[in-house]
Amino acid sequence: MILECLKLFYTFFKIGILGFGGGYTMLSMIMTESTEQFSITAQQLADLNALDMIVPGPIAINAATYVGYLHAGFWGSLAATIGVTLPSLILVALVMRFITRYRENRVMESFLFGIKPAAVGLIASAAITIALGVLLKPGASLNTLFSDPFGTISVFLAVVFFLAAFLNIRFKVNPILLTVIAGIVGAIWVR
Amino acid sequence: MKKYNLKTLWALFVIFFKAGTFTFAGGLAMLPVIEKDVVEKYKLMDREEFMEYATLAQTLPGVIAANCACFVGRGAAGTPGMLAAVIGSTISAFVLMLLATILLQLIPMEGPVSGAFQCIRAASAAMVLSAAFSLGQHNIKSLFAVIVMLSALALVLFTDISAPVVILLAGITGYAYKRFKNRGKKEA
Repeated sequence: MILECLKLFYTFFKIGILGFGGGYTMLSMIMTESTEQFSITAQQLADLNALDMIVPGPIAINAATYVGYLHAGFWGSLAATIGVTLPSLILVALVMRFITRYRENRVMESFLFGIKPAAVGLIASAAITIALGVLLKPGASLNTLFSDPFGTISVFLAVVFFLAAFLNIRFKVNPILLTVIAGIVGAIWVR
Repeated sequence: MKKYNLKTLWALFVIFFKAGTFTFAGGLAMLPVIEKDVVEKYKLMDREEFMEYATLAQTLPGVIAANCACFVGRGAAGTPGMLAAVIGSTISAFVLMLLATILLQLIPMEGPVSGAFQCIRAASAAMVLSAAFSLGQHNIKSLFAVIVMLSALALVLFTDISAPVVILLAGITGYAYKRFKNRGKKEA
């Protein structure tokens, strides 16, 4: 238990200290790392993204609390949240102590120049992983994705997925509204 | 060390607690409100100092709201101020998310509820894809960015390299690319 909390702390500390550019860079790392290191499922990550829309506060804190709790209960959520926040305290203390006028902006900018597009790639990969996971038919496995796509992926859920993505990207329909409508449709149609 | 008292620490906690509790989907949407509280209401520092901290907060890695809280807290009341402000900025996100997570585990996943959640998850996955799209529209504007994006995507999906390492490599690549380009300019 203590070991799992330390692992959560260490992983989220790494994510915090590399979180250049803020929330989405960290969320992209959290989504990828938590499936690989903390055996969080695609369904649980989809739930996380839905909760993120309705629970206030910085998304990286929300995500750390969620992944930490699912992996190791209350102490896990505390370890992950402290882990992702601690780099802020350390870096701010260092910057204020050693650099009166922060002149390293150029270096930061060039780091961000590489990190911003990489974060887009990581979010895209998280989107693919989560989508494949939640669109899967019960009991099906991704191994048969190409040989038997309609036996593997639920067509109904795929339609919901593409319709929601299309309405949000093209017409900027509110994400919370789309998610609520999807929930109602699901309660009525899916058995 | 700057002078501080319990009143200042409490003010810092309240300012950032308010900002953390009423901000949805992160970001610095609450910055004008924090500014008003810090500069006008509690008079913890002048506007210029606050704006410098707010700018610095965005250039450092990590949770930007927490960075901002740390700078303002430390600037106004040293290390105790930093702690009061950063706890204020994170505590409500932590507590509310913890409650939401616990409640979610209690929902019985059967019948219509299970159907509802299947569709909620499909829509939620779509919102992750949509986030990738809108981030891409802002950040993918050069061939270099396209190559970095596709490399990051491929590395995470098809190799064992972890996401933090991909981000670190991308940062170093960005740095090297900028240096190389600037050197080329000087020589020309």
